[in-house]
Amino acid sequence: MPGSAPSSADSGIFSGFRRAFRGTLVWYGFVLPPLFLILVFIGYPTALAFEQSLFTEIPGGREFAGTYHFERLFQNQVFWGAIGNTVLLGVAFLVIIIPLATIFASMLNRVRRGSTPLKVIYFLPQLTSSVAVAIMFNYVFQPDWGLLNGFLRQLGITNLPLWLADPRYSLTGSRAAVTILAVWAGLGYYIIVTLAGLQSVPTDLYDAAAIDGASPLQSWWYITLPSLRPTFIFLIMTGSIDALARFSDLWTLGGPGGSPARSLQSIVMFMYQQGFESQDFSLSAATAVVFFLIVLLITGAAFWGFLRREFRALR
Amino acid sequence: MAEQAIAIPEAKVQRRWRLPHDWRSQTAIFITLCTGALFMLLPFWWMFATSLSRKADISMPRTPQLWPPDPGIFNYWIATNNLPIVRLYFNSLVVVGGTTIGYLFFCSLAGYAFAKGRFPGKSFLFIVFLATLFIPFETRMIPLYLFMGQLHLTNTYWALILPFLAGGFGTFLMRQTISSIPDELLEAARIDGASEFRIFVQIILPLCRPTLATLAIINVIWRWNDVLWPLLVTSDSNMFTVTQGLALEGHSQGTYTGVALATAVLAILPVVVAYLFLQRYVIRSVVSSGVKG
Repeated sequence: MPGSAPSSADSGIFSGFRRAFRGTLVWYGFVLPPLFLILVFIGYPTALAFEQSLFTEIPGGREFAGTYHFERLFQNQVFWGAIGNTVLLGVAFLVIIIPLATIFASMLNRVRRGSTPLKVIYFLPQLTSSVAVAIMFNYVFQPDWGLLNGFLRQLGITNLPLWLADPRYSLTGSRAAVTILAVWAGLGYYIIVTLAGLQSVPTDLYDAAAIDGASPLQSWWYITLPSLRPTFIFLIMTGSIDALARFSDLWTLGGPGGSPARSLQSIVMFMYQQGFESQDFSLSAATAVVFFLIVLLITGAAFWGFLRREFRALR
Repeated sequence: MAEQAIAIPEAKVQRRWRLPHDWRSQTAIFITLCTGALFMLLPFWWMFATSLSRKADISMPRTPQLWPPDPGIFNYWIATNNLPIVRLYFNSLVVVGGTTIGYLFFCSLAGYAFAKGRFPGKSFLFIVFLATLFIPFETRMIPLYLFMGQLHLTNTYWALILPFLAGGFGTFLMRQTISSIPDELLEAARIDGASEFRIFVQIILPLCRPTLATLAIINVIWRWNDVLWPLLVTSDSNMFTVTQGLALEGHSQGTYTGVALATAVLAILPVVVAYLFLQRYVIRSVVSSGVKG
């Protein structure tokens, strides 16, 4: 298009050639600086992670280890614990937050007054760093005088839960507490995205349903929810990747080990602990490779499912 | 939502100060939404109220109080003495400012070339840029940290800024925006003898202002709230960012509730104040790009 297509009249074939060549070179001037940054700070370390997972550092050099570090990783109970925590917390988070956000977004879409300040309030925790949210909730969940248990005590409940101090798999344990935290912090974002999806549903669908005598609840169930399918796929895809990469809030609450009793250790925390604290770079790199493959799998599956539908709609 | 079909007569009824026919459901929805908003705000308020109480450092009341019996700024005084808070704000400002300016500049450069340029290898290079979207930061963080050590950059601003200067997401967003700028405009500038770089600075960048603002907002949220990378590459408390200082201080001040919460308030205050002023742009940025902070 432009650049190589000289618009002014040309005197000869050579100047035209030179012009085209110069037009090409200019674009490399634009692309190369960012490309250099990407190759050095994204490409090289990623390649390094793959390489490190295949070698063992020994004094004065290193030797090829093949799949040794991966075998070591897959026999590591702590690794499986971290994977289990990450998946459990991610699934619980998505299962709670998506229906909740859909309900709130539908209400916000219907209400005639005050939706803007409400949106601003719901979105506020999203802007707050997850570290600050974690510190705040550390005290909200404090068993003796925390905000939540104080509230429950006012309701007359005597057998108060321990929340973050209870590492068991329970609805009032540490995992439940950090899920409540994540839902509280993430709800605004999920509501706003769902609301955008709701507002793109064509209104004539609702008009047609109203003419056919559908109740508001019926049209919500049969029109709104199916129309939100792309939104849900998008939220599940990005939400899964965020959940896999969860680190800051759990680290703030439980340290790199995810205390109590490793109940809050995520896969990234495991990576951090092995690489940064135990200096076991090969094991950390093997974890990074496994992590990369899981994320790639999710992204690929969601992309495929999402794009296939988009293309079908285009045809 | 049947009422959308009969929206016009309804508005007339409202103007005559009569209740709309669906006032019951409207009230119920409004009350539910306000209750939800209250649950969103309550922890913030409780944190603020507790941070004002000196007694909170010794013992907390068993029944949560929404206003402390002894309001004062004692905890803030301690918090600012424990941490070099001014220094941390300065560090965060340098890191957030540096990465944002760099990210916008380099992503626009590449975005312009991919949108309007014509050169061998364009599609391949664009795929290289997009491929970075599929590499989570966590995959490369430990090797990157070792690499920074080899470059002797740990505990410097460079370590906090350099890895975030270019990325696939920004490049993609800029390419999409620049593609929608008509070629005739650039062609006219070229006939007038403007160089490509001058076209980029004087025509492309001003026309991309909304997208640049979106990218800037998202990048500021990302970098201000990031704690994983600063934890890896800085160990000197003079190089900590605000969020990192808060994370470490929150650990060590665990028993001094008031001080820990005062530190948290100090750390989130700038972002919250900025958000309240810019909320419309912030929410729009997040929705239009589909990326949260």
